Amino acid sequence: MTVPTKAGVTEANIEIKQTTMSMQGFHAKSDFWGQTTLWMLIVMSFVPPIYFSFILGYHPGWGAIAGGLIGYAAFIGIMWFLEPITYYPVLGKSGTYIAFLTGNIANMCLPCSAAAQESIGAEPGTKKAEVAGTLGIAVASLTNIVIIIAVVLSGSYILTIIPQSVQNALQFILPAIYGGVLGQFALKKPLYGLVAFVIGMAVLFAPIFSLIKIVLCVAITIAVVLFIEKSKGGASD
Amino acid sequence: MEEVLRFANSAPVWIFASIVVAIVIFQALIFIRIASRTAPNIGMTKEETKRALRTGFISSLGPSFGIAVVIISLIAVLGGPFTLMRIGIIGSAATELTAAGIGANAYGVELNSPDFGLAAFTTVVWTMCLGGTGWLIFTALATKSLGKVEKKIVSKNAKMMTIVSTAAMLGAFAYLASQQMVKGYSETVAAIAAGVSMMLILTFAKKREIRWLQEWALGISLVIALTISYLTTLI
Repeated sequence: MTVPTKAGVTEANIEIKQTTMSMQGFHAKSDFWGQTTLWMLIVMSFVPPIYFSFILGYHPGWGAIAGGLIGYAAFIGIMWFLEPITYYPVLGKSGTYIAFLTGNIANMCLPCSAAAQESIGAEPGTKKAEVAGTLGIAVASLTNIVIIIAVVLSGSYILTIIPQSVQNALQFILPAIYGGVLGQFALKKPLYGLVAFVIGMAVLFAPIFSLIKIVLCVAITIAVVLFIEKSKGGASD
Repeated sequence: MEEVLRFANSAPVWIFASIVVAIVIFQALIFIRIASRTAPNIGMTKEETKRALRTGFISSLGPSFGIAVVIISLIAVLGGPFTLMRIGIIGSAATELTAAGIGANAYGVELNSPDFGLAAFTTVVWTMCLGGTGWLIFTALATKSLGKVEKKIVSKNAKMMTIVSTAAMLGAFAYLASQQMVKGYSETVAAIAAGVSMMLILTFAKKREIRWLQEWALGISLVIALTISYLTTLI
């Protein structure tokens, strides 16, 4: 870590004073609209089941419903809490509200957020990065919903006009997205990229409950990177 | 099963789906608006705002088509409007298919079996819709508090947040990439090809100061990686 000069400190302070108000406003509005849209969607989530159970009258009994929900919670319930916490440092406040409403976080929201930040040269974790990332995720959410609407409304017709070879190639989209984003960040910090990759492989093959592996990988990577930064800081002093 | 799909594709369900879709679109537009208005105050030029939006759009095309191809399996089981509802909001094809299976089992039948009737489908609807609210409720309640924790860390050390963000991103994607790479040879090729193309394109774009290439970096890398990995399946 570099020791800031006196001038550097005052400059940073002035910058913070000038921008906090607007950034505070952005955060307040993000909280308001993020929570409003999320609660709207939570209410809407109850409508279809209630409609099928009580309006159409196909209620399967509360026992079956409880069984389904307990099964669901056992399958993936821990991610309700772990995912938002894990991705918060990357998504920021506004990004979290959009990403967890629209879904497809790792395979769409994060890559688009990172690409938008990269395109204007914003350092991750800064205000500029948060605003650029938000723009990237919001546009991605729009694009995604438009494409899904088109596919569903056309009765998958749209997909039949995509050549079979392209559809076959698309089965590799996930490794491509993950590898691409990893490349983008590893370019900036090759050492940390290597560290993360070694940790990733180690965690993957470790005999741990598989759902928490990604959380563990993020936590260990942050810890190791902070440790390296600290020892580097000590060395430069 | 046919009767199930008739109800699953009925007008009221399409209306529910439209409301959900409207909320997603409304939220995206609101956030684009407030972020664009904040941009000038934190030193982002108009051009940079546009560039961020454009890059988000270009980069989302590959992932969106990837998602679109997978949801076919879901349309067959759930019908159009539920697929739209479930994939339009938090959820992925794999999660929703598993959830549908769990719901059907809770009712005592298998998905796609002849016994899979409307009561079983209703159990599936409860499981998927309420199960998905877990993320929504936690995010609605906890994000504000997470913001406070972040502020505390940032106020102590501004540089810390950059390091933590970068490390978190690297950790998450190193794991996700590793998980895909061990699946097979073509997956490994796809991940490496995308990673290497990304590094080459970004390095070249920065050196020559080609802005548009920076915006297209992820999109082009995905196309290169998909092409190369597809070719490996032909050999």
